[in-house]
Amino acid sequence: MRTLKKEYLLHLMLLPGVIVTLIYAYGPMVGLVMAFQQFEPLSGFFHSEFVGFENFQYVFGLPDFKQVMWNTLVISLFKMVLHLLVPLILALLLNEVTRKWFSRFVQSAIFLPFFLSWTVLGGVIIELFSLSGPVNGLLTAFHMEPIMFMLDNDWFRGIIIGSDVWKGMGYNMIVMLAAIAGINANLYEAAEVDGAGKWKQMLHITLPGMAPIVILLAVLSLGGILNAGFEQILIMYNPTVYEGSDIIDTFVYRLGMFSQQFGPAAAVGLFKSVISLVLVSVTYYAAYKYNNYRIF
Amino acid sequence: MKRIKPWKMILLAALSLFVISACSGQGKEPAGNQPQAAAKEEGGTAAPPDPLGKYPETVTVTEVMGFNPPEDPRTPKGITPEQNAYLKDLKEMLNIEVKYKWTVPSSQFSQKFSLALASGDLPDILELDGKNFEKLKKQGMLADLTEAYNDYASPTLKKYMESDGGFAMKTYSQDGKQLGIPAFEDPFLSTQLLWIRKDWLDNLKLEPPKTMDELEMVAKAFVQQDPDQNGKNDTYGVVLQKNLFFWGFDARGFFNGFGAYPSMGDGQTAWIQDGSGKLLPGLIQPEVKTALGKLQSWYKEGILDKEFALKDENKAVEDITAGKVGISYGEWWYPNWPLNLNVDKDPNADWIAIQIPGLDGPGKSLVPKIRGDKVYAVNKKMKNPEAAIKMINFYIEMGNKEYLNQNQAEKGYVYNWFSPRIYNPAQIETIYTEVNKALEANQTEITLDDENYKNVADVFKATKDYLAGDTSNASKGVNWGQYFSRAAKDGGWGLTRQIKENQAFVNHEFYGLPTATQVEKGAQLDKLMQETFTKIIMGSSVDEFDKFVASWKSLGGDEITQEVNNWYSQQAVK
Repeated sequence: MRTLKKEYLLHLMLLPGVIVTLIYAYGPMVGLVMAFQQFEPLSGFFHSEFVGFENFQYVFGLPDFKQVMWNTLVISLFKMVLHLLVPLILALLLNEVTRKWFSRFVQSAIFLPFFLSWTVLGGVIIELFSLSGPVNGLLTAFHMEPIMFMLDNDWFRGIIIGSDVWKGMGYNMIVMLAAIAGINANLYEAAEVDGAGKWKQMLHITLPGMAPIVILLAVLSLGGILNAGFEQILIMYNPTVYEGSDIIDTFVYRLGMFSQQFGPAAAVGLFKSVISLVLVSVTYYAAYKYNNYRIF
Repeated sequence: MKRIKPWKMILLAALSLFVISACSGQGKEPAGNQPQAAAKEEGGTAAPPDPLGKYPETVTVTEVMGFNPPEDPRTPKGITPEQNAYLKDLKEMLNIEVKYKWTVPSSQFSQKFSLALASGDLPDILELDGKNFEKLKKQGMLADLTEAYNDYASPTLKKYMESDGGFAMKTYSQDGKQLGIPAFEDPFLSTQLLWIRKDWLDNLKLEPPKTMDELEMVAKAFVQQDPDQNGKNDTYGVVLQKNLFFWGFDARGFFNGFGAYPSMGDGQTAWIQDGSGKLLPGLIQPEVKTALGKLQSWYKEGILDKEFALKDENKAVEDITAGKVGISYGEWWYPNWPLNLNVDKDPNADWIAIQIPGLDGPGKSLVPKIRGDKVYAVNKKMKNPEAAIKMINFYIEMGNKEYLNQNQAEKGYVYNWFSPRIYNPAQIETIYTEVNKALEANQTEITLDDENYKNVADVFKATKDYLAGDTSNASKGVNWGQYFSRAAKDGGWGLTRQIKENQAFVNHEFYGLPTATQVEKGAQLDKLMQETFTKIIMGSSVDEFDKFVASWKSLGGDEITQEVNNWYSQQAVK
């Protein structure tokens, strides 16, 4: 209590942040009641009829739901794993590059697509992989049959995952490079004295040193397991590949925006949040328990 | 122990109050029933209601808008909806000021409007489709326009509304209250025609096709025999885009050729009579399967673009403009856009319209009983509902001769941005007959002098210019487009009239507001249809169609059929 008195000015400075969080993060949660209502926009939350779990039953009963759930999991699991693995490898490789200018150039080049919006990138990728696009041009140059990448469920999923990893890998890579930079250089010197080569150094110093950050990234990304990339897929998909790429978010989008079924749409959103909360809690606890890892 | 300071308590309380009220704002207001006292006061002044009377004090009206680019290429570049010259005149003539709550490109309109609807933040004047009208009506959000319409509608507007026997108006009224003013049009505007490059036919010494087999032969020739004679294999047969049933460059007319009537263009099923007084969903009839089978074989043979499923209407238009494709199904207006673009690009390009080919001889197109899914309504909270009626009067008034010199695209008048906008339901027919009358009598000006003047005069001028080869006012394509869509005897509307006379059409019988199940399940059924049909065309087994029919029925189709037939037996005028 005494510290509070002493530092109340500092706490006061926190206030704007807290208010913003309350308004924009906690305030809208009131809207969750929609999930349990036969929501009519103009009647609002207070006058719409409560229907209990009917919205949930309705959505889970829809014939598409299983497929959508499966797609979401497959796409997002692949994305999650690759979003850790690819940047990890890149970071390790870049760490061994001795020419500063080259390393900086590669870093920037890899980071660049992170800043492009899917609206732009989606169009580019569609063109890139179209029948008359450069990728197919390359295939025909090697006397291979052209492939309709964007109209084939298997290829399309691969492109969704691949392009997302390509776009986002720079970010995690920078974080991991920072983690490597934070490792005590003395450890390497000691290892060298003990006769460890580059490979051994990486295995026994770099990787363990990075572990906390990698775990942190993994835990954070697990919360998004049901987010398979709404914007990207919405921009790139088409009826032919619904089967392999319709995810929860695009599904909710159609439900909410085109059918104006706000109740069921909110129910799916709530369902997603609950799953994420559980997953984040469990992994965080596990990381804490088995790796003595804590964020707070 | 801890003692919370009073000021903190107050702050906390204020904060929580703020959060709660912020979220409940939209909840409370709509429930209240605002009295419409203000409107009464205005009407209660001594002067009799004047359809174009100027308000003594500025009346501000809010609207929202989904806008397309201005249609006329002469419109000043960079003009925004707020700068539309119509609004300036509206302010001067009626002292009504339009404020847009938001404007978005029309492709995003329905989403944005859904959001506005969800947050209860609606403008004064609402441009609604049947589905949203139904929603707002159910929630009692719409103002009663009966009095405003009776007192303020101009004689011309009343004439338009009565031109169908008051039929459309009745659809949008309830318990004697007029809740919307429908923008309905001649249903034959929806007639499907086949547009084909005559110069390509001539190059290959082919005749315009009359049957499906002939069309297939022509289309194949357009793929394989280099119809544009540029020595390159760069053309395909028939244009198609990813939305199979849409407002253009789609497959409606193709299906009609097989006696299949799957959709009016919205992805939802069309409804046809079964001969015993019931309505059938056209989407699931066996003829559709046959047509899909044909599309599949066309796809395989390269008559359709291999990647049509990735193309939207803009991409399809690009192909037409670039001269990559020479056949498209569509309505009467194609010459005015986008065929005119192709004509301007390629001086050889020559498009003709023919009746859609059928299985043996020309086929019958689907035509709705009523065309017009657009209705103007007024928010119950609006103080001056009659302002909406006056604005409609204003738009119609602006078509008169006296405004012609001023009301020009290059002066910043963008007609398709003005709302509420009601046309003469017989506008195109009026243009056709008046222009042809003037042409036959060799007049230099048209004789007609009413609110249709501008529309008729514009087309007459373009026609004269086109026939004389005069491109000083507009390019050849633009003149030709006006002429060939509206005035030519063998052009868009000319041919449509013949089809109407020959009764070569089948009616889409359902014109009620969307039923409960349609509103709820429509999007899902639409998705199912798009997915199945696209896949069949691209090579899945045609028998997938049978599975589709079963799913369609069980996912709500049967209920919809029931609801639609209930409507048909009770409310439809047969």
